[in-house]
Amino acid sequence: MRVKSMKTMVLQVLPNFALARRAVNFPRLFISYHSNLQIQAIQVLLVREQRTFLQVSTIKQSALSPLMHGVKRIRYTQEALEALKQREKAKLKEFQALTEEVLTKKKAGDYSKDAFDSTTRLLRVNPEFYTVWNYRRNIMIHGIFPQCSPAEINDQLSEDLSMTTAFLKQHPKVYWIWNHRRWCLENVPDGPSEDDINADSRNFHAWDYRRYVLATMPVPRTELSELAFTTKKIEANFSNFSAWHQRSKLLSNLWESGKLDSSKSKEDEFELVLNAIYTDPEDQSAWIYHAWLIGNGNDASILNREIKAIQELLDEQPDSKWCMESLVRYKRMLLKNHGGSLSLDEKQRLYEECSSLLTQLQEVDPQRRRRYQEIAESLEH
Amino acid sequence: MTSVPKLNIPLHVKYIQSLGENKDDLTYHMTAHLRMNAIYWGLTALIVMGHKDALNREEMIDFVLSCWDDQAGGFGAHPDHDAHIHSTLSAIQILTMQGALDKLDIPRVTKFILSLQQPSGVFAGDSFGEIDNRFTFCAINALGLLGQLDKLDVEKTVSYIRKCKNFDGGYGAVIGAESHAAMVYPSLGTLSILNRMDEVDVDTLGWWLAERQLPNGGLNGRPEKLEDVCYSFWVLSSLSMIRKLHWIDADKLIAFILSAEDSEHGGLADRPGDQPDVFHTVFGVAGLSLLGYPGLVDIDPVYCMPAELIESMGLRTGWEALPRKAFTS
Ligand SMILES: [Zn+2]
Repeated sequence: MRVKSMKTMVLQVLPNFALARRAVNFPRLFISYHSNLQIQAIQVLLVREQRTFLQVSTIKQSALSPLMHGVKRIRYTQEALEALKQREKAKLKEFQALTEEVLTKKKAGDYSKDAFDSTTRLLRVNPEFYTVWNYRRNIMIHGIFPQCSPAEINDQLSEDLSMTTAFLKQHPKVYWIWNHRRWCLENVPDGPSEDDINADSRNFHAWDYRRYVLATMPVPRTELSELAFTTKKIEANFSNFSAWHQRSKLLSNLWESGKLDSSKSKEDEFELVLNAIYTDPEDQSAWIYHAWLIGNGNDASILNREIKAIQELLDEQPDSKWCMESLVRYKRMLLKNHGGSLSLDEKQRLYEECSSLLTQLQEVDPQRRRRYQEIAESLEH
Repeated sequence: MTSVPKLNIPLHVKYIQSLGENKDDLTYHMTAHLRMNAIYWGLTALIVMGHKDALNREEMIDFVLSCWDDQAGGFGAHPDHDAHIHSTLSAIQILTMQGALDKLDIPRVTKFILSLQQPSGVFAGDSFGEIDNRFTFCAINALGLLGQLDKLDVEKTVSYIRKCKNFDGGYGAVIGAESHAAMVYPSLGTLSILNRMDEVDVDTLGWWLAERQLPNGGLNGRPEKLEDVCYSFWVLSSLSMIRKLHWIDADKLIAFILSAEDSEHGGLADRPGDQPDVFHTVFGVAGLSLLGYPGLVDIDPVYCMPAELIESMGLRTGWEALPRKAFTS
């Protein structure tokens, strides 16, 4: 396929301003619903928007940050370091002046619109300054909201939600930003909207936030439509454990409440997860989910059926650690929970199979050798 | 151990000392909201490496006291910053390690900590109420150090953590959240301090934790994610609390942690080739200590403070670390 230039792609999307705007507000959702072409074009827009504010963050790579993730080590010469420091000097002065201004106003109990705007400026430069988020909320509660209609409060909080969306694109893991979103939603007179719940990725902040919004929405999204959402995520990527996890929580509720027939639904789940396992037998996400479906192993016929399916896969892939691990787990369950209905010979055979699998596991997975040894020692005879 | 490079202790000590020196640096000021934590990380790393006195004790105590938020009754991360449970814990840890708890208004700070507990049993980080198990652990850890656990509703606290337990044996940040090693540690730490390790499904959790080790020896925080030096502590301390530290390959992990060392300027990073910071430095050396790396001081995996000190305060719980190895030169 011929690769189009970025400019062409941006131009193709730009006329649809509403679309671009949505992308800026809900980038994660967007990626799942729109074509690759659009995604790339949108990324260009996002990068451009990010450049316009927060240039300061580009020098967060300084050796003096106490906590960093994924920042490549850069070797500076003494001259380069000195030059960098000179360039930073003006920004440092600006940042210190702004900090001083905001903290002075805070100490004076200033809850004016002017003070509010100062917090916007400072948080834009440093969204991790938690004291300033606190101050901002206090200004809203004590200074701004008492003079506002519910509609105006709504508007202000919506504005803060858009602002935090923009911040999150640059700092997706900053707790303080997610925290402020939650606070905004809790204080929106109308409650959160559907648009706010389309976050995705493995970012656990996004998933926690999603669960939070789902739980607090005035008209709850049905668990079934949420289940469909996780199906889509899993089908796009079997190793997205966050989606498997969400699924386990939803299904537990649906089975318990009787909204889904648990035995029929369980069968569907076994089919889905075996599909994932057969696609990539080394992906632990699917195996962990499989273990959840098996649960305590109270159903002997399910245990036997799954053992058979896994054994077939092991025959095809004789080195598969996860096949062996799961076979040991489920065979021990047969012995523990259903030993009474097994003959002595059958029991003996299961013990021997477990013991031989555990020996093989020590070879294929030497890092966890001691664990397999301990399980082998604990096998009763 | 002959093939493993030696931890360059003098260089790391120098690195930590240098962190407070560049006061004209922008990042230094931009990260003021982590200052109190950073001092706790630096001091603990120094103690593990046997160089407690490399930072000035009096200056440190003065700084901690200057962060007192008298309105709230707790510590902020920096003078004029709001009190928060995390910086309050760091302050208490620093004062404890420096033998200066007598400078603290213990009843007042205890009141602040207890005020953060929600009806569900979980703790909030501050008055605006972001809740999760990390804050619960900060609170319980601090109350333990202050000898104030008798004022806590233990059952209420434990019942929330119980609800965060997942089928993989792990714990999430809040009810319904996915298991994450950085949340398993505070959940287990809380249960350990409260003497409620009977809540833990040791076999399942031990399995999940052991599977965090990747072929390169490093540990990740969740299935199918990348390794990171700080997880060596979250996972190791958890394994240590359930006495299953031997379920992973210690030598491979030691080699991975050491590979994240900046051998030129000192400090450890999240992974090889990345920029070091004091956070990964302390959790890297604390992990090495739990793994029995030679020449290091014993660390208590629950409090992440010197084991001897915690024991002398009568706070030791039932964890197990690997025996200290000797250098084989
Ligand atoms: Zn890390």
